[in-house]
Order: sequence, then C-alpha cells, then structure tokens
Amino acid sequence: MQRAAQGDADAFATLIQPLLDPAYRLAAVMLGDRTAAEDAVQEGSIKAWRKLGQLRGDERSLRSWFLSIVANECRMARRQRWWSVLRTAEPRPDQAGADPALSSDLKDAVLRLPADDRLPLILFFYLDLPVDEVARTLGVSEAAARSRIYRSAKKLRPDFQAEEVS
Amino acid sequence: MPRDDFRRELNDAFSRISGNPSSDLHARVRSAIVDAPERRGPVWLAGVAAVAIAALIVGALFVVGPLRGHGPTIPVAGPSPTPSASAIATPSPTPSPTSSLPAFVCATSSSLNGTQPPQTAFVDAVRGGVNTGYDRFVIEFKNGEPATVQVVPQNNATFTQGASGQTVQLQGSAGLLITIHGADGHTQYSGPTDFHVGSGILEARQVQDFEGVVQWALGLSQPACYRAFWLTGPDRLVIDVQTS
Repeated sequence: MQRAAQGDADAFATLIQPLLDPAYRLAAVMLGDRTAAEDAVQEGSIKAWRKLGQLRGDERSLRSWFLSIVANECRMARRQRWWSVLRTAEPRPDQAGADPALSSDLKDAVLRLPADDRLPLILFFYLDLPVDEVARTLGVSEAAARSRIYRSAKKLRPDFQAEEVS
Repeated sequence: MPRDDFRRELNDAFSRISGNPSSDLHARVRSAIVDAPERRGPVWLAGVAAVAIAALIVGALFVVGPLRGHGPTIPVAGPSPTPSASAIATPSPTPSPTSSLPAFVCATSSSLNGTQPPQTAFVDAVRGGVNTGYDRFVIEFKNGEPATVQVVPQNNATFTQGASGQTVQLQGSAGLLITIHGADGHTQYSGPTDFHVGSGILEARQVQDFEGVVQWALGLSQPACYRAFWLTGPDRLVIDVQTS
C-alpha cells in the first residue's frame, strides 16, 4: 500500500489484483454485458490508480473504495448506452405484481431491476459483503444500506423480511 | 421461499449473468495501470505546480497591467480578444499528462524509426487497454526498438494474412495495419494473437510474422484518428485510437 501510494504502479496493480474478480462480477451484473464489464473494471482500475491519494483509511478501506469506483464506471457506461437503460429500467406491468422467484426466471427478474437496485443486492448477496461495507461502497449509512437491500430484495421476493438483512 | 434458498437462487442468477472474467483480465488491467500516462508522479504535486504557475502568470499580468484596475471582470489584453486569454485566467488544476504525447492524426499514414535498433527486436508482450477517450494497443519489445514501423489506416477491416495471402476479416468497419520491420513475434512471445481491446479497437490480430516483418491488424469500430509513438523502460510501440 505504501509503495503504491508513493507512485509504484506495479505495487498498486498487485494490491488490487484480488479485487478484480469481485469487481468484474459486480460490473457484469450491473451492466448485463461481460465485455463492457471488463472494460468498466479496467477503466475503474485506472481511475483508482489516479485517485489513490483520495483514499481515506488503510487497506481495509480499499475494497469498498475500489468497488464504488467500478460501480460508478458502470453507471457512466449505462448512461452512454441509454437505450439499454430504457430496455431494462422497469418490470413489465403484467409481471410487476408477481413473485419472480416463483413465477419466472430469477435471472430475468434481476436484469429487469434498475441498476441502482441491483447494486445493493450484488454487494450483499453475491459478493457477501457485511452491511457496513455495503454502506461504505454505496456511500450511505448502515441503516440506509439495510433499507436499500431490503427494498431491492422485496422486488424480487415480495415476502422478503427486513430482518433477513443481517 | 426460505432465506437460504433465496440467497442461493439469487446468487445462481447472478452467476449466470456474470460468468467468469476472461483469463487475460488481470494482465490487461495491470498493463493498463502501468501504461497509464498519469503515472508520472503524485497528482498533488502536479496540482501544486499548476497553481503556482497560474499564480505567477496572473501576478505577471497584474504587474504588467492588463489585470489592473478593470473591475471584477478579467479583461483580455490587446485589441482582439482570444480564447487563450481566458484559458490563462482559469488554468486547469493539473497540467495535461498527455501533453508530451504526439497529436492524433486522421486518415494519414505514420512512420516511426527505432533508436539504435537491434538486428531483430523480439516482441515479448502484446496487450490492449481502454482509456478515457482512446483505446490503447501496445507491443512490447525485449531488446530494443525495431528498425521501422509503419501505421496505415484503411476504411475497411479486411486484411491479408502474410505468407498465405488469405484474406482475413476483422471486426469493425475500418482498420489500421501496423507493419514492423526488423522484428520477431514468435521467439519471445507466446500470448494471444487475436483479441478484443475496447469500443474503438474491436479486434487486434497478428497477420504476419516471418522474414523479420511482423504485422498486426486492428479492426476499428469506425474510421478514427490515432497516434503512434514509442515508450521506453521497457521499449514499447504504442498505438492510441481515439474513441470520442
């Protein structure tokens, strides 16, 4: 970490290497496009390298900081691909009230969620981050993070309970 | 649905969406970081330097006269205002890290000569990277810059495979053909010879490697401006293709 902070690019590349797979998984689900996800991870890595001086804290803060940069890259990529946002923004009306986990493919249901609803679910369920780290990645309080996980999960499983976010 | 089942099924859905990253993602990211032009020093140092330079310029303008006694608006010296005057008044907080790089050229060929080229320059890495505003294609040499490099743009992505003479069709609607004389692409390099780079360079493929001539073809999403230059330590040929 110290060498990276002093401008050693190789040290930084080594530092973030364990984070590339989770970052890719985050980006791939956010974007629904594997090639675009790899581009987002690469661009996010370069931005993280340039912004390393802005990182507050130590290596323990690195993961949530790096994932938040990659998530932001995904948002930018989606804005550039505005048509995909229109395509996946909201569930179709005939399916909005159904329990997607029971009545249709959960994968399709996930892809119909807005990207900002997917993000807390990816962080909490797929990357298995603790709630406090989800909160840091989202840039919100722990309570707000719990609320966002709950609201998003409820869209996929209407009987989801707030107590399940722990 | 029980809690554990929901988590398992949701993660299964996530896995089906994401799959696994390609095997070269780690190498690609590493090379992009190492090749990032901004790696030349701490950003804060550049910021301090830029602020100091801006202060000197503004101070000099004040002493000389153009900024003295003209109220809150910044006047432009001389009878014909120019955009550069306002650029001086509001300098960028950091100097452009790419200022020393050559300008992008459009629809014209480029030629580079190597400095003290060896008899044969051995390729030992080839990679691509996505940067803001351009895709970067890099060929790294083990023992020095090759004798000459020519970069020729074309308005299609159809190339000729060296030796066989077969036509190869790359992805995209335009292309760049990079011809390296005095090089060897197979003795030290065993990596991929056909890969995707980004939204500008859709495909990079080696189309020739014999008799001391190595050719790489780039399939571009559209006719694009590019720049070709050397980087050292290690010796690298860099082709940047504009994407915006």
